Amino acid sequence: MSAATNSEIRSDLESLARVWALSGPLRGKVAAGIGYKFLQSACLGIAFGAVIWVVNKTAGPESLTMADIWWVTGLMVISLAGQTLFGFLSVSNSWIASYETAGRLRLTILDHLAILPMRFHLSRHQGDTVTALTADMQMIESFMSDALPRIAQAFGLPLIVLGFLFWQDWQVGLVGLASIVIALPVFLWSSRRLAKLGIRRQDTQAEAGARMIEYAQGISVIRAFNRIAKGQESFGEGLKAFRDISIKMDDELTAKLVQIGKLLLLGAPLVIGIAGSRHIGGDTEVGTLLSSLVVIFALYAPLLGLIGVMELTRIADASLTRIDRIISAKPLPAPKAAETPDGFDLVFDRVAFSYVPDTPVLKDVSFTVPERSVTAIVGLSGSGKSTILNLIARFWDIESGQVRIGGADIRQIEAEQLNANVTMVFQNVYLFAGTIRDNIALGKDGATDAEIEAAAKAAQAHEFITKLPQRYETEIGEGGSTLSGGERQRLSIARAILKDAPIVLLDEATAAIDPTNERAIQFAFAELVKDKTLIVVAHKLSTVQSADQILVLGDGCIIERGNHDSLVDADGLYASLWKRWAQAADWRIGGKA
Amino acid sequence: MDGAVSTGNKNDERQAASTASQETGPQDQPNYFASLRLIGGYLGASKFKMIGSILLATLATAAELVPVWAVYRVLEAAVDGTLNLAFIGGHALAALIGVVVGGLALGFALGLSHIVAFESIYRLRLDIARHMARLPLGYFQNRKSGDARKQVIDEPEKLELIVAHGLPEGVSSLATWLAVSIWLFAVDGRMALASIFVTPVSFVLMSAAMAQGGKRAGAYHAAAGRMNASIVEYLAGMPVVKIFNRTGQSLAETSRTVREYTAIETAWARDYIPMGGSFYTLILSNIVFILPVGLLLMQTGTLSLPTLLFFVLLGANYSRPLMKLFNQFHTLAHISMGATMVSDLLATPPQSDTKQSFRLPHHDIAFENVSFGYSDHDVLRNVSFVARTGEITALVGPSGAGKSTVASLVPRFWDVRAGRITLGGVDVREIGLDQLMDTVAFVFQDTFLFSDTIAANIRFGNPDASDEEVEAAARAARAHDFVSALPNGYETMLGEQGASLSGGERQRIAIARAILKDAPVIILDEATAFADPDNEAAIQEALGALTQGRTLIVVAHRLHTIAPADQILVMDDGEIVERGRHDDLRSNDALYARMWQDYTEARRLHYRSSTGHVHEEISQ
Repeated sequence: MSAATNSEIRSDLESLARVWALSGPLRGKVAAGIGYKFLQSACLGIAFGAVIWVVNKTAGPESLTMADIWWVTGLMVISLAGQTLFGFLSVSNSWIASYETAGRLRLTILDHLAILPMRFHLSRHQGDTVTALTADMQMIESFMSDALPRIAQAFGLPLIVLGFLFWQDWQVGLVGLASIVIALPVFLWSSRRLAKLGIRRQDTQAEAGARMIEYAQGISVIRAFNRIAKGQESFGEGLKAFRDISIKMDDELTAKLVQIGKLLLLGAPLVIGIAGSRHIGGDTEVGTLLSSLVVIFALYAPLLGLIGVMELTRIADASLTRIDRIISAKPLPAPKAAETPDGFDLVFDRVAFSYVPDTPVLKDVSFTVPERSVTAIVGLSGSGKSTILNLIARFWDIESGQVRIGGADIRQIEAEQLNANVTMVFQNVYLFAGTIRDNIALGKDGATDAEIEAAAKAAQAHEFITKLPQRYETEIGEGGSTLSGGERQRLSIARAILKDAPIVLLDEATAAIDPTNERAIQFAFAELVKDKTLIVVAHKLSTVQSADQILVLGDGCIIERGNHDSLVDADGLYASLWKRWAQAADWRIGGKA
Repeated sequence: MDGAVSTGNKNDERQAASTASQETGPQDQPNYFASLRLIGGYLGASKFKMIGSILLATLATAAELVPVWAVYRVLEAAVDGTLNLAFIGGHALAALIGVVVGGLALGFALGLSHIVAFESIYRLRLDIARHMARLPLGYFQNRKSGDARKQVIDEPEKLELIVAHGLPEGVSSLATWLAVSIWLFAVDGRMALASIFVTPVSFVLMSAAMAQGGKRAGAYHAAAGRMNASIVEYLAGMPVVKIFNRTGQSLAETSRTVREYTAIETAWARDYIPMGGSFYTLILSNIVFILPVGLLLMQTGTLSLPTLLFFVLLGANYSRPLMKLFNQFHTLAHISMGATMVSDLLATPPQSDTKQSFRLPHHDIAFENVSFGYSDHDVLRNVSFVARTGEITALVGPSGAGKSTVASLVPRFWDVRAGRITLGGVDVREIGLDQLMDTVAFVFQDTFLFSDTIAANIRFGNPDASDEEVEAAARAARAHDFVSALPNGYETMLGEQGASLSGGERQRIAIARAILKDAPVIILDEATAFADPDNEAAIQEALGALTQGRTLIVVAHRLHTIAPADQILVMDDGEIVERGRHDDLRSNDALYARMWQDYTEARRLHYRSSTGHVHEEISQ
């Protein structure tokens, strides 16, 4: 094999090596599964060996005796017993090993995900991680239980047959080997090339597909504006392009792969020709010719199974990549010398931060929040308000500067302690499947029923909870009771009240909710932030008028700061925001106010 | 003969096992063939290519048997001692031709079958697109985000496997199996029986194994469901879990579901493996039975050595085509599970459309005793009101009262169950959909914008609009300022690769689009819901621009925006409980008055300041 093909082969082999590495402590079982599969093929080989023995014997001057027949029958029983036994052992080992490996990998990944920073979770598609833990694991299971033994099976019988051919007549052996030596590299080379073609096909298809998806997603708008004909025209164009690409690329892909597979079978006519002429030439016995011919298909048929294995390897490769991306992600560095905050004031000291390199979100932000004071952050959308909250909770680490709580750099505070001191109410409420009680109890380990109820009362949630048929035992989440957005928000506040952390981070929801819920939520918030250090990202300017400090964020910097009155007097961005807010409060549809 | 025989893919097995176990359930016939039925109707137009593909696949089968025949003939001649070089050369050539023709024929068969597949999927997708255009708009309202993609791309694409591979390979497997069976029996019935005897035995074992494994199918699916749900929750809830220091607990719970799943998988495998594993062994072990039987028959003098060898050649691989069929059946069953998503869509009855056009004297909208509900519960009961041309009708009420449903019934997202809705005196079901859509413009909370330029998105409201008109609409929607601040202005691309706009900005583009449409009836459902304070004022101004001389129906939570409406309908639990103008309703001392009080109070509440403790309004 040439050097070029070697480098192509390695990728496939690398995938195999990666699976091997991932199987960790179960490697023994994996190897046993492969080994037994090989023995199973070898036992099948015994049967072919017996055929050859019979042929050699009967083609010569001798004929078979009853003893010979019993002897062959005995061999067949051994062959069958061996195949069944080793087949059973192989399947047992490789299947169980594949399940246990997948189970172990899932646990390892779950453990690892727990210590990865929120930045990892928030900055990538959550769907990818779910896929890695579910579908990709099934892929690995299939690969280990199916593809690995298949490799042993593909080579097992052919190796034995080939060995026999060489032993009988090395020239026929060489001929038998020839088509394999030619076909295998072509296989591997073309499968790589076809894989690349496949990726190109996916890309071109994705483009054409996007237009079709857009039609399906936007169908309501398309119909509302009576643009069906136009929409279908665009859909049709995308669809035609999609079809044409598919036909063109598949023509190159599938048909060729199958035809290349048939290269192997070219060995059959070769062996007929060479083995036959050597016999005619008097170089070999008739038994040799007969036995060479009779095993010829046992040589090639199993090898054809490798086409499928290579397809599986390619699919498994994508799964391995996704899994590796998680495993290789680095956890947050642990503090070198853990510090304990002294008090609960909070300082941003010349903080710079960006989610994506070179597009800074915060450029140089400094402010101080005294303990038990209220600081509101306002600004235009996209100015980085919520980012400040994310940095305090250490969902992301800052690029330069320092964030300090009670004098301690938050990177030097143990994660557990930081979390214990900070509570955050998110814009998007997340409730877990389980009862209402479970969801509130999340706020405090070992919370009593009385504490839970008190928190619910403070969060204005007790009343609606007690109206539900199962009260605190009501199941929420999928299949459970459906709560309105405002009710869900109040449960999340109850949870935070129960936690009773000295620092509260609040991200006000922008979406409008009905007045009764809105009022209840405002009361709940007031309870939550009592006597706490509060940092709130405010959208409703009315709520922050009495804040001790208002920070106006613009373009990654604090452009104004002060209390409401001083900022209104300053006549800057805040003043104009406030003016518009106040106007909006007077404004009515139709302008008839 | 092809050797691509699986050693068993347990995911497929389990899938099949579980489908098999569902089969024993009381009502549901498993839909193994749902996918075949779905694509079947679209194959017709490509039938010549399909027939061509099948013929070529059959030819390939025949050609692939030529090398076997050639080997057999050479064996025979060698035993008879009649072998010569010409004979060998001829048969080697025949084998060569067989291999080449077989490979080419299969290649062409697959090429053709792919064309058939993509052409039929093309027709299927066209049908899906057309059908989507005729379904009630409400059908799309509750669709999950990935559904559109699945319906037009992913699920139809899977059918390719069935048509492009299943068809020629299935036919060639079947043909091979038939041809080999006939050939074996034609040569020697006794040896044929010995060759095939083990095949049905192994399939019996397989079905026993599937039945055995199927017992755990319910537990398996439950465990898989629990594990997946737990993993999704573990990840989605990660921020909450972290902030509440519950990582350990959440991890422990998720890990437990993983361990349970692994345990059930393993238990399933232990049940399945003894018989399932034997299947994969026996199915390939025909030779073990051929040889002893053959030798005994040879001993009786009724079987020649070449014939025995013929059975070794052909009989040893007897099960392979059946295995391929078996695997294809799995694929079919597997794909069929997803096919229902598309067939359900196609089976949903389209919305009636009279295609009539009426001259409407005015654009009053009247609800006359309208009741409406989804399958299990009533959403509206006996709703009656008239929204007059040139007036603003506002719908308010608690979450879930049915306000949005009222708004969506006008453009016929759904049709009423009882009563009727008229527009300009004509039942909306009598008005052709084209005219109805031309007459009604609506902006809802969720705005869909196309992956196109901002200008193109606004122009969607009126394709003939000039650049000036587009800009005027954007100005009216208060979108012009932020659009022109973007580097590419109106030519800015939106969508995945394009700029991302805030919720409020998207709503303003949608409003500009609606303004450009210039329709006499406008329905706004929470059209300002995502506004932050900066945007809200701007959007509200924009909405003002929409009102003159039109029928306007508005759903809003921010009550000050609808206070001056000509008519306020207060809804609670699917009924209109109050109606009137703002001042009357406030003095009514009923639901509206309470909502108004809550609303103004919520707007006065402050987070406490460190000096004032709880603000006075709270400690009222």
